[in-house]
Amino acid sequence: MTDSIDRRRFLKVLSVTGAGAAALSSCGIGPEPTEKLIPYLIQPEDQIPGTATYYATTCRECAAGCGVQVRIREGRAVKLEGNPDSPINRGRLCARGQAAIQGLYNPDRLTRPMIRNASGTFEAIDWDGAIQRLSAKVAGARGKGLVFLTGAEQSSFGDLVDEWMTQVGGRRQSYEPFGFEALRAGNRMAFGTATLPSYDFANAKYLLSFGADFLDTWLSPVEFQNGFSRSHAFDSGRPASMAKFVYVGPRLSLTGMNADEWIAARPGTEGTLALAMAQVIVSHRLARVPADASRLSGLLARHTPRAVAEVIGIEQQVIVRLATEFANSKGGLAVAGGMAAQYPNGAGIVAAVNVLNYVAGAIGSLVRFGADLAIGATNTFADLASLTSDMAAGKVALLFVHGANPAYSLPGAFQQALGKVGYKVSFSSYRDETAAACDLILPDHHPLEQWGDSRPRAGVIALQQPVVQPVFDTRPTGDVVLKLAGRPGTFQDYLQSKWRARQKKNFDQYWMDALARGGVYAEAPSRARPVQLAATAAGINTAAAIQAGGDQEVVVFPHPVLHDGRGANKPWLQELPDPVSKIAWHSWVEVHPDTAAKWGLSTGDFLLLKSPFGAQKFPAWITRSVRPDVLAVPTGQGHSAYGRYAQDRSANAFELLGTQVNSYGGRTFAVRASATKTGEHRKIVTTEGSPRERGQGTVEVLGLARAQGLHAGDHPFHYEETPEYAKDAVEGWGERQHEKASIGNYAGDHPRWGLAIDLSKCTGCAACVTACYAENNLATVGEQLMQRGREMSWMRLERYWLTDQKGVPQGAVNSPMLCQQCGNAPCEPVCPVYAAYHTPDGLNGQVYNRCVGTRYCSNNCPYKVRYFNWYNYAERGGEWEAWPEPLSMLLNPDVTVREKGVMEKCTFCVQRIRGAQNQARLQDRNVRDGDIVTACQQTCPSEAIIFGDLNDRHSRVYELAGNPRGYHVLAGLNTKPAITYLARVVAQETPSHG
Amino acid sequence: MARVTYDYVTRTIARTLGAPTRGYFLLLGSAVGLLGVGIITLLFLLRYGLGLAGYSHPVYWAVFITCFVFWVGIAHSGTLISAILFLFRSGWRTAVYRTAEAMTVFAVMTAGLFPLIHIGRQWYFYWLLPYPNERGLWPNFKSPLIWDEFAIGTYFTVSTVFLIMGLIPDIAAVRDLATGWRKKLYGITALGWTGANEQWRHYTRGYLYLAALATPLVLSVHSVVSWDFAMAIVPGWHATLFAPYFVAGAIYSGVGLVITLLVPIRRLFHLEEIITVDHFENLAKLCLLTGSIVSFAYVTENFVAWFSGNASERAAFWYRAFGPYWWASWTMYICNGLLPWLLWSKKVRTNITALFVISIFVNIGMWFERYVIIVVSLAGEPYEPWANAVYNPTWADWGIMAGSFGWFFMWFLLFVKNFPAVSISEVKEVLPPPKRVAARAGARHA
Amino acid sequence: MVWLILAPPLAVSSALQAQTASQRYQAPVVHDTGSLKGPRQPIFFRHDIHAGQDQIPCMYCHYSASVSSEPGLPSLQTCLGCHQFVSGSTPSHQAEIKKVRDAWREKKPPEWVRIHALPGFARFPHMRHIKALGAQACITCHGDVQRMPQVYQVSTLRMGWCVRCHVEHKVTRDCTVCHY
Repeated sequence: MTDSIDRRRFLKVLSVTGAGAAALSSCGIGPEPTEKLIPYLIQPEDQIPGTATYYATTCRECAAGCGVQVRIREGRAVKLEGNPDSPINRGRLCARGQAAIQGLYNPDRLTRPMIRNASGTFEAIDWDGAIQRLSAKVAGARGKGLVFLTGAEQSSFGDLVDEWMTQVGGRRQSYEPFGFEALRAGNRMAFGTATLPSYDFANAKYLLSFGADFLDTWLSPVEFQNGFSRSHAFDSGRPASMAKFVYVGPRLSLTGMNADEWIAARPGTEGTLALAMAQVIVSHRLARVPADASRLSGLLARHTPRAVAEVIGIEQQVIVRLATEFANSKGGLAVAGGMAAQYPNGAGIVAAVNVLNYVAGAIGSLVRFGADLAIGATNTFADLASLTSDMAAGKVALLFVHGANPAYSLPGAFQQALGKVGYKVSFSSYRDETAAACDLILPDHHPLEQWGDSRPRAGVIALQQPVVQPVFDTRPTGDVVLKLAGRPGTFQDYLQSKWRARQKKNFDQYWMDALARGGVYAEAPSRARPVQLAATAAGINTAAAIQAGGDQEVVVFPHPVLHDGRGANKPWLQELPDPVSKIAWHSWVEVHPDTAAKWGLSTGDFLLLKSPFGAQKFPAWITRSVRPDVLAVPTGQGHSAYGRYAQDRSANAFELLGTQVNSYGGRTFAVRASATKTGEHRKIVTTEGSPRERGQGTVEVLGLARAQGLHAGDHPFHYEETPEYAKDAVEGWGERQHEKASIGNYAGDHPRWGLAIDLSKCTGCAACVTACYAENNLATVGEQLMQRGREMSWMRLERYWLTDQKGVPQGAVNSPMLCQQCGNAPCEPVCPVYAAYHTPDGLNGQVYNRCVGTRYCSNNCPYKVRYFNWYNYAERGGEWEAWPEPLSMLLNPDVTVREKGVMEKCTFCVQRIRGAQNQARLQDRNVRDGDIVTACQQTCPSEAIIFGDLNDRHSRVYELAGNPRGYHVLAGLNTKPAITYLARVVAQETPSHG
Repeated sequence: MARVTYDYVTRTIARTLGAPTRGYFLLLGSAVGLLGVGIITLLFLLRYGLGLAGYSHPVYWAVFITCFVFWVGIAHSGTLISAILFLFRSGWRTAVYRTAEAMTVFAVMTAGLFPLIHIGRQWYFYWLLPYPNERGLWPNFKSPLIWDEFAIGTYFTVSTVFLIMGLIPDIAAVRDLATGWRKKLYGITALGWTGANEQWRHYTRGYLYLAALATPLVLSVHSVVSWDFAMAIVPGWHATLFAPYFVAGAIYSGVGLVITLLVPIRRLFHLEEIITVDHFENLAKLCLLTGSIVSFAYVTENFVAWFSGNASERAAFWYRAFGPYWWASWTMYICNGLLPWLLWSKKVRTNITALFVISIFVNIGMWFERYVIIVVSLAGEPYEPWANAVYNPTWADWGIMAGSFGWFFMWFLLFVKNFPAVSISEVKEVLPPPKRVAARAGARHA
Repeated sequence: MVWLILAPPLAVSSALQAQTASQRYQAPVVHDTGSLKGPRQPIFFRHDIHAGQDQIPCMYCHYSASVSSEPGLPSLQTCLGCHQFVSGSTPSHQAEIKKVRDAWREKKPPEWVRIHALPGFARFPHMRHIKALGAQACITCHGDVQRMPQVYQVSTLRMGWCVRCHVEHKVTRDCTVCHY
């Protein structure tokens, strides 16, 4: 069918890499007998054609430093999976991590060094020439100001740059658009230490987040999500329980929508609330308060609930209730960050929350100082501001930029300042905003192509090794720096020398071990460094500063997957609907219905936001998940350069922000702006259908009390019973299908593959969706087609708000919807050609090469999980091409690339099932529970998905399928799904969900 | 109708085969033009894929299938009028059945195209046919689409044979008047008809049996088509009512189109004497009957949806009436539910212009009925609240639809110019016995 | 894989032992290569000599056939493993072997013409078939390569051909075993 691309095409691409030979000699597919088979000269020892090899390395998509295992087929990286050895992500991965290979094989990567010529345009230059010119520049710039700007780099590379800079009399500076200055300032204010602690979400009994979006972007999302699901998910053990999670913030983020309760405090008053709670705890002696808390008495006295309730905008008894719950849980963990740490009074808020943790006894147990999260060592925004002014003042003769794109996140100031710099060099892989303004671009290798390491926190050194041949004529910046520094050897040697310094005896063993495990990890987590209240704690000021500007409060928040914009050129991330708004491919502004009504605004109408610093237009998304007096805008879009997927797409929210440094040396992400309706309108690209579940058993929710009352064998969810007379016809039919399907025979009894999805674990982070795109060669269809509901997402996340009596959302329930592999499937009997049919192992098979595309199966599918190829998304140079070279190299050779006119859907990663069966057969055994792991299950950071054989009485999935919380979606239709959903449990009386 | 003698009938009807006028060519030209549009659209669909049409998840069937059902429906009245009314010996059919039958054949020819056009990989359409192959693969006989294939196939064969057979005596008649190439053509197609008693006896017997054979098809074909929907679990489709409901609707729309076609033919070819007002009135009555059955079906549907207490069913019909497609639904309710009631008045029934207008609205209404059943039921998607979409047709949808009309009218126009559009022999059957003199004249031709 | 690559001397000795064996297949002398079936290859590699006469096992070169879905194609290094010692008896043989050595020197692997190919939507795990059919596995689909001076396709490799064999052996004919 589509071997044209499925195989031969990326073989063609492959010859770029020189690994092409491998691929050609591999798969043995491709009909023309004229096709050439090119053998290896020397057989790589660790690769077997047709069999995947895994290499451990480190994900560099953010600073968290998760360990990954890269699946290599015939020299191509085809998939990233979490590395179970890594203590950070424990084998799990987020959507951004999954999409890293789209950075590796991105069609917009720079293929060679570029230099700005006399006429001001870029032209190609060879490496040696470039480096010669550059070393001349370096010599010339000595003493005239030499700066090397990097991203968050706690790594040997960082060290190397530091060494070189000291050698040439320059300085290195690191920059993260969403820095953590407030955390450090707040910690200093409260405890006199500017380091970042580690947070133990897994063992918390009560969670309270003041704006910290620890599930989407804050510090180490995968690690935190994994911990969060351990404490917050309903645990049916005895005593059955879960940690309640309360979110305080002006809008519901991905993190916020997983809360059991939402306290929409007035923006900037989060700290006041924290202090008020502390006051209650102390005055009511709700916890064993440390002695030195007495020095806070003055501060707390000023923050009685009565005094501050008005300011915060909630009733005082709510404050008292929260404080009581928090303290009585004997394991309360409060975190402050995200929005709360980006107000002008952010530091005060963080300090206040520290105080709350302190009086409740969380410090030292759940909040442990001494871990020194690397991200904390990043330079502050103040440093960048001073750099900017230096540049503007012409005090910088030579500027290097690596792993950062300040021209995008500081559109005005930095852009202009760049112009004043003598010579600007970028190591970016793309011609992004910053690179485009530079004089020389020396494209760096992709992290998957080069050596490196990173030290996300004390006790963890993650190693990074090249897993594929370089795709283009790029060079590791480390090598370039060494050359410029006139030092011998490559960066690999430098790296090893660094590591050798750490371990003298039998280094090779140590090194090989590190390579295999993806780094070295301290066995025991670093011990907590005890902290006392600092003198400054008494003077904590949490009063919300009044900002000048328009009459409307606007908060700018990092996009969960595009983050500060670095993900914007990866089609997977662009096409991935935002977990909260479900909007893809463009930016938006969140408006509360009341506000919208006031302004006569409807979803899709453009709103012009004019702040003192800039003006931008955003289409409105009307939602109750934001405060009525607040507008919220995500970053990430609105690139003026960077690549075909990112460029000229919607608006850049950074434009609205000021560049002046606030009290704690950070940047303020909340501005006052005027909002005016422009009259323009656009159709929002959203996958959201009806946001309310109509009570037809699509999702089920239980209150905690109810869930605790459940016993084995209970069936809390009522759905239509099959009448007696229909039992055989309906119930028996599925089984008979099953037997009939046994054409020929498998060994022994047939398995019945099944899935269990625990909704009280699922956070809706959408990592599974991207993993599915990666594993199953799903096409990205782009903005225009997605607008017409033609996205190919086999797995979609349905987000249904849970609302209180007043209709205010109190969190949401997220339900991954994918093919249910019905035992009694409506799609099967209607297919005229048996393309949709029942396999002996209980799957709803979909034979792509048999499908003629009548689409009857989809019409008859009550779950609507079948997707049709309206165009040939694999057509070379076609209008809808989803894998422009070399993106096609990440296609999974084990999965057919579907051609136009064919129906496709989830098949429980049947290629993995068959692979495991083949391996098992080679070893003369049957497939064991756990041999097969679907892509979604593998990546799920909260471990909500379990795959296995429902006929195996000892499998985990069998056990979960019998859980009293279990239910089948639309069970009333008697489709007998193979997927069991476990109802979400909320730590409050069951809210209505429509 | 003293003037209407055998001879007159033969000559008047034969006159319709006379040299075509400019107007005729204009009509034919535009029909072929429309067909051209359809063909070009189809080429685009083949090259780029069905994405050019307006489909959006979960609306995976739309205008193409709507047209399919519409044309199959049209096809029905033909057989009804020619076969069933023949068995019931209702004399008035004679003047109109030929047109109706021709219409049937061409409508089926049109309908048959859509299943091929609407599938994703049109070039593999033959996989839907049961043919032995080394792979041991067969179509799935459980699938209603396969039933369709057989139902439509049978219907096409029978109605074609039926049409051709009815034509034989008339072709013979015009053969005797014709000259040049036409003489040759009719000479062959008349199959050596001489009008001998022997032949007449066999002919009438055969015709009778064929009529008997065709009759059940009228009921079966659209029942099977209706099961494409009734067999699925989609709320708004999944109803036992569908077979009778569809058959009635089909005849309703069919009769509608018969009127739409007869009025201009009568005018253009000056057949007022032969196709009289009573004919139209009778057709109108048929409309009234079937129309009422359809409206009854609407009522039942909605009642059952409410009475069943099934949330999905209720949601579906609520969405139908008050969702984003309310306009389509109400067009259907008004055109098929209320309009026919005008036909209670004899004034309207006997007013050709009124009938013509009404018949057009009948066709519009019936097209929308299928549109509503197919598109709106899918778009509503009451099972999975997350997956619903509003579907809008694109140029591709309209292009193919236009093509289908072009295709239909091209064949029809060619037919009426080359074969007697009104049965000569059977009209004569219902005439008063002629006077001697004329008899010879008439006998010469009959 | 590793030991195979390091093993050539061993293989040669086994070939020598083979010569001492009594009734040994003698590959014909080919004068007119044009008359041979199958596409012409850049190097006139004689399967009938290597696999037939010298009885080198198929999986010595196609090293991954029994463990992976793909059979694997011998690297040039594998060829050299023997041919740094074996330089051929007849001039024509020497000429061909020279090509191999040149290719190695110039680091230019020969571009073999593919003979057996399946469409992209059909999966054929070699190891499963070898596991099931044992020693005779290769011949079942590839024919008696040991007697082919130049390899050509003997089976249609069409679905009907696959199915027939699956029916005969009473193994599964489930679609998703090969198509996914």
